[in-house]
Amino acid sequence: MKKILYYFKIWLIISKNSFLNVIHQRLALAIFLVGKILRFVFFLAFLYFIVNSAGTLAGYSSHQAIFFFLTFNLIDIVSQFLFRDVYRFRPLVASGDFDLILVKPLNALFRVLMGGADFIDLVTIPPVIYALIWLGQSLNPSYFQVLMYIFLILNGLLIATSFHIAVLALGIITLEIDHTIMIYRDLMSLGRFPIDIYKEPLKGILTYLIPVGIMISLPTKALLGLVSPIGLFISFAVGVTVFVISLKLWDFALTKYTSASS
Amino acid sequence: MDKAIIVDHLIKNFEITEKKPGIIGSLTNIISPTKKIVRALKNISFVLEEGELVGFIGPNGAGKTTTLKILSGLLYPTAGFVEVISYNPWERNPEFLKQISLVMGQKNQLWWDLPAIETFELNKAIYEIPKREFKESLDELVSLLGVSKLLNIPVRRLSLGQRMRMELIAALIHKPKVLFLDEPTIGLDLIAQEKVRDFIYQYNQKNKATILLTSHNMDDLVDLARRVIVIDEGKIVFDGLFQELITRFAKEKIIKIHLGGEVDIKKLESIGEVKKIKIPEVTIAVPREACAVAASELLQNFPIDDLTIEEKPIEDIVRQVFRGGITRKAAR
Amino acid sequence: MRKYLSIFKISFQQEFVYRLNFIMWRIRNVIQILLIFFLWDSVFSEPGKVLFGYDRARIITYVFGLIFIRSVVLSIRSIDVAGEISRGEFANYLIKPVSYFKYWFTRDLSSKALNILFAIFEFSLLFIILQPSFFMQTNLIYVIFFLLSLVIAILIYFLLVLLFSSFPFWYPEQAWGSIFLLFIFTEFLGGGMFPLDILPKNIQNILSFTPFPHLLFSPIQIYLGKLELGGSLKALSLSMIWVIILAFFVNKLWERGLKNYKSEGK
Repeated sequence: MKKILYYFKIWLIISKNSFLNVIHQRLALAIFLVGKILRFVFFLAFLYFIVNSAGTLAGYSSHQAIFFFLTFNLIDIVSQFLFRDVYRFRPLVASGDFDLILVKPLNALFRVLMGGADFIDLVTIPPVIYALIWLGQSLNPSYFQVLMYIFLILNGLLIATSFHIAVLALGIITLEIDHTIMIYRDLMSLGRFPIDIYKEPLKGILTYLIPVGIMISLPTKALLGLVSPIGLFISFAVGVTVFVISLKLWDFALTKYTSASS
Repeated sequence: MDKAIIVDHLIKNFEITEKKPGIIGSLTNIISPTKKIVRALKNISFVLEEGELVGFIGPNGAGKTTTLKILSGLLYPTAGFVEVISYNPWERNPEFLKQISLVMGQKNQLWWDLPAIETFELNKAIYEIPKREFKESLDELVSLLGVSKLLNIPVRRLSLGQRMRMELIAALIHKPKVLFLDEPTIGLDLIAQEKVRDFIYQYNQKNKATILLTSHNMDDLVDLARRVIVIDEGKIVFDGLFQELITRFAKEKIIKIHLGGEVDIKKLESIGEVKKIKIPEVTIAVPREACAVAASELLQNFPIDDLTIEEKPIEDIVRQVFRGGITRKAAR
Repeated sequence: MRKYLSIFKISFQQEFVYRLNFIMWRIRNVIQILLIFFLWDSVFSEPGKVLFGYDRARIITYVFGLIFIRSVVLSIRSIDVAGEISRGEFANYLIKPVSYFKYWFTRDLSSKALNILFAIFEFSLLFIILQPSFFMQTNLIYVIFFLLSLVIAILIYFLLVLLFSSFPFWYPEQAWGSIFLLFIFTEFLGGGMFPLDILPKNIQNILSFTPFPHLLFSPIQIYLGKLELGGSLKALSLSMIWVIILAFFVNKLWERGLKNYKSEGK
C-alpha cells in the first residue's frame, strides 16, 4: 500500500512537471488541441454521414457505429495521455541520460512509461466520456453489459500498456522505436470501425494476432450483448498474458542494456 | 573502518556485432552476424575504505566509466566479485540505490525547461527525504556551491558551469554515502573546474562520503586525490598514493637555468640531458638522486643567473605509467 | 541544371540509407489505404448499391486511385523545412548558390520518384489480393488532363507546405503544429478519406474556395471522367489560379519571415 502511495505521489509530481513544461508553449498546445479536435469532429461527421446514408455499416446502425468510434477514441486518448513519455524514450537512451534514471531507487520502467502525462489530452477525455454515456444510454444495455464493457475497456488499456512496454523494451535493444510506435498507432486506428468490416485473413489477424479487435471492438460488442462468456474469458486471458510477456521482455532488455557511452 | 567498495577479480566483456559494409554485408549480417568480444576489464581488483576520496585515471577507453557503471549497478560483471556498502550493485536494491549517487559529466538529470528546484523536489520524493533533512541539505549544498540566486531560473538558461553545479546538488541532495563521479569537470572552464573540485573536497571532508572520481584531467587529481588508481586497457597499472606515483615513475627532475653568459652546450650535456634550449633558458633533465650534485656543479662551473628545480610535468609522469614505466625521451 | 540533378540523386540515395524509415512509411501508407478500402467495401457490400452517385466499381477505383495519387502528390521531404527554420539551420542554405525552394522541390521530386515505384508495387499487390473492380479510363484526353492535374497538384501541395512551414519564422517552437494542421486539412478536405462529392452541396461549395480539393479529389474526378470535358478544363484552370495565388502568398510570407528571422539574429 505504501508503495502505491509512493508511486502515485511521484506520478503527480512528474505530471505536474510535464504540465509546467508544456504550459510555456501555450501556442503549440493550442494548435495541437485544435488539430486533434478538428480531426475528431471531421471523422465523426464523416462516419455519421456515411452510415446514415448507407443505412448500415457491417450490420450496425449509425448510433452503434459511432459508439465503436467513440470507444476507440477513449482507449486511444487515455493511452496517449498516460504514455506520452514513450515517444521521448529514444533520445533518452541515445544520449545516455537513461543511465541516470536507472541509478535511482525509482522503478525505471515506471519512469519511462508514465513519466510524461500529456495534458492536452486531459481536455479531450471528458467530452468523449460524456458522449459515450449519452449515446450508450440510447442503446439500452443491461447492467451486466455495461459492467462487461467497462472491464473490457480496462482490459484494452492493459493491452495498450503491454504494447508500450514492449516498445520501450525494443527501444533499449534496437533504438528503432519511433516507427514501431507509429505502426502501432496505425494498426490501432483500424479499430475506428467495428472490425467486422475487414475481410479475412485481416480480420483474424486483427482479432487474435494484433489484438486490436479485443482491445477496441470487443468492449462495444459486449455492450451490445454480442459476446459470449467464452469470448470474455479469452479476452481477459489475452490481456493478462500479453502484459506478463511485455514485462518479461522489459526485464530481458534491461539485462541486455549496455549504454551508449565512451 | 568498513570497506565501502570491494572489487575482486572483476572481468567485463562486451559483445559487439561487427557491421559489414555494403548490401551483401548487411544481408549476411542478418543471417550470420560476426560477433567480436571486447575485453573492457581484465581482472581488476581494489578496495576503498569508507570516506576515501580516490582518483581513477586512465586514457580514454581504459575502462574507467565501465567500472563506475558496474559499481552503480548499471552493467553486470562478466565474472568476479563486486560489493558496494555491502550490497551487490547489480541487484539494484532500492535501499542500495538510495545511498549512492552517480554523476556523469555532460549527462543530465535536470528537467530542461524548468527551474532546478523542481528536479530537487522530485528527487526529494524519489529518495523519500524527510522535509527537514531536505531543507538542511539543500541549504548546505546551495551555499557551498554559491547558486542561491539561480534556483528558480529554467535550467536551459544556465551556463554549463552553473548547470553542472545544479547537477551536483540534484545528485547529492539525498546525502549519498558513496559518490561516483565520471569526468565531472569535462567541458567546464578553468574557474568552474576549480569550484567543482573545491566542492568535492569539502563534501568529502564534511560528510565522510566515499568518492570515486574518474578523470583524464590531471588537475582534478592533483587537487583532490591522495590515492590514485591508474587503469590502462582494462588493467590496473598502479594503485597507491599519488606521491608514490610521482616518485616511482618520475625518475628524473627538471633543472631550469637562466644563463648569464656564453656557454658551450656540449659541456652542459655532461651534467644531464638537455631537453630544451632557448637562449638564455636551458632545460636539463637529471636523475633524481643526482639532482643536488648536478645543481651545485652547474652553479660552480657555468655563468648562471637563475636556477630552479622542478618535478616533471604530471602529464608526462602519468603517460609513462600508461606506457608501463618505460622512460623515453619524450618530445615536449 | 546539373546541380539539381545531383541533389536529386543524393536525396534518392539518402532514402536508401534510411531504409527502415522508408519501408515503415510505406507500410503505414498501406495500412491507411486498407482502412479506407474496407470501409467503402463494407458500405457497398450489397451488389448494385448506389450511393451519392457512386457504385462499387467507382468508389473502389477512387480508393485504389488514392494509392497512386497520394504517393505522387503527398510524398515530400519538404516537411523538414519547418524543422530547419525552427532550429536555425536553414541559414546555411541562404549562402549557397542554390535556390532554397528549388532545392527542396528537387528533393520532393526525388522522394516522389521512389514512392511512386513502391506505390506501383503495392497497387499491383493489393490488386491481386483484393481483386477490386477497377475502372480503366480509355479516353486519352481525360488521361492527359489527369496527368496535368497531377502536376498542378504537386505544385499546390509544395506551396501549401511552404506556406505552413513559414510559421516557425515567428514562432520557432511551432514547427510541428502547423504541419499537423495541414495534414488534417489535406486528409479530410482534400479527398484523402472520401470523395468530396458525397458531402452536401453547400459544404462542397465552401470547399471549392480552398485549394485542398485540387490535391487528390479533383485529379481522380478528372480521371474517372465525372467532370466531362468542360468541367475538367474548368477544374484545371481553377487549380492553376490557386498555384498563382499560393505562390504570391508564399513569396510575401517568406520575405517577411526572413526579415524577422534575420532581425532576431539567430
